[in-house]
Amino acid sequence: MTPRTVLNRSLLALAGLVLLGGGLLILFAGLGLYRRHGLAPPADWPLTAADDVLLGSADRARWSSQGWWWWPAVIAILALVALLALWWLLAQLRRRRPGALPVGSTPPQEGVELRDRALSDAIASEAGALPGVARAVVRITGRPAHPRTQVRLTLTPRAAPGAVLDTLCEGPLRTAHRSTGRPDMSTEVRLRVARHKPHRAE
Amino acid sequence: MTPAPDPSADDSAPSPHRAAVPLTKEPKGPTAPGPPGHHAPPLDPTADERGSGHRSHRPWSARRVPAMLVASVILVAAVAALVDVVAVRAGRPAAAWRRHLADALATRPVGDIWMLVGAAVAAAIGIWLIVLALTPGLRHWLPLRSPAPGVRASLNRDGAADLLRDAATRVPGVGKARVRVRRHRVKARADVRFRDPQQVKDDLTAVLVEERDRLALARPPRIAVRVRQRTD
Repeated sequence: MTPRTVLNRSLLALAGLVLLGGGLLILFAGLGLYRRHGLAPPADWPLTAADDVLLGSADRARWSSQGWWWWPAVIAILALVALLALWWLLAQLRRRRPGALPVGSTPPQEGVELRDRALSDAIASEAGALPGVARAVVRITGRPAHPRTQVRLTLTPRAAPGAVLDTLCEGPLRTAHRSTGRPDMSTEVRLRVARHKPHRAE
Repeated sequence: MTPAPDPSADDSAPSPHRAAVPLTKEPKGPTAPGPPGHHAPPLDPTADERGSGHRSHRPWSARRVPAMLVASVILVAAVAALVDVVAVRAGRPAAAWRRHLADALATRPVGDIWMLVGAAVAAAIGIWLIVLALTPGLRHWLPLRSPAPGVRASLNRDGAADLLRDAATRVPGVGKARVRVRRHRVKARADVRFRDPQQVKDDLTAVLVEERDRLALARPPRIAVRVRQRTD
């Protein structure tokens, strides 16, 4: 999984837990489940009975009389939350590209670099010429130390995906990975088939 | 999660030598009858060596769309609250939405129907977000057997369905075929125009098994075939 996947999934789980916890807290108190089942919530439990309110005037008075630092702290926290949310949003739109890849295995050749665009174009043109492939789109993502190849192939209606995948790995991908000195560069291949009408011609 | 596919795991295939049907339109005869229970080895010669080395998982989605939605909601809420708090500190009256919200939170008890509905919706969204965080997603992509270390491949379900449908249409006697591909099962329904329906069904099963093996799926789905006689 990419770092962005881990980040997204962690934050989604966190948001889900907050929503679920808050919702259950209100539901338990609002439906009177504590009393009905004879449960005794801890002493400082926020909501216990159906006639509690979420934010009573006593609470508001208590919070706003905390001192001079209260409102600056609220503003700072809100600003921080807004900035983090903006950063999270923008992280979805950005696509990380390595730019230039070091060439050669260990140690990399000094002063020799391969543009990611050149590598992906080379793979795409070679993959597009394979039998059974109608269209090939290749992107290199990730950081220069850990580039990843994304290959999207559209197969012709008569292609055999297993065979195409084998020739792809033995041809263009092996060449590319050998020429960059990364024989095990992580690669994701997505195959789809060109839409077509049913036909029975041999 | 067994990597080795077993072409025998089909629902409807009484014929023991169904793997040997030619794709051409000649009248069919059992060309290579093997002993019962024995499947023609050329069907899947490389399955074991290819399938055993590297495990194939479904790719995990980055969950970009849910992340964007949640981030947008948090951003809008935080900015609105920030603007209003700053405005109140600067001496202006609070915005109407904030007064309404504070009023509702202060007067509606948690037993109020709207509070309960809101809480239930929040809990449901919470469960949904947790499910999104923990499941792989990308259910429309079927993982393929990985041909080399570091390479992960998948085929989308519509593409698999198109390929299987074309294969089914090539079976002699089949007029029209519809194929639905799900993650663990392929359902094929075909109209039989001529020939014995049972024979057509056997051929169809064999051809679909063969085509399924050409797809090189990491977890080959079971194949269920239904035929219907149509002579009009």
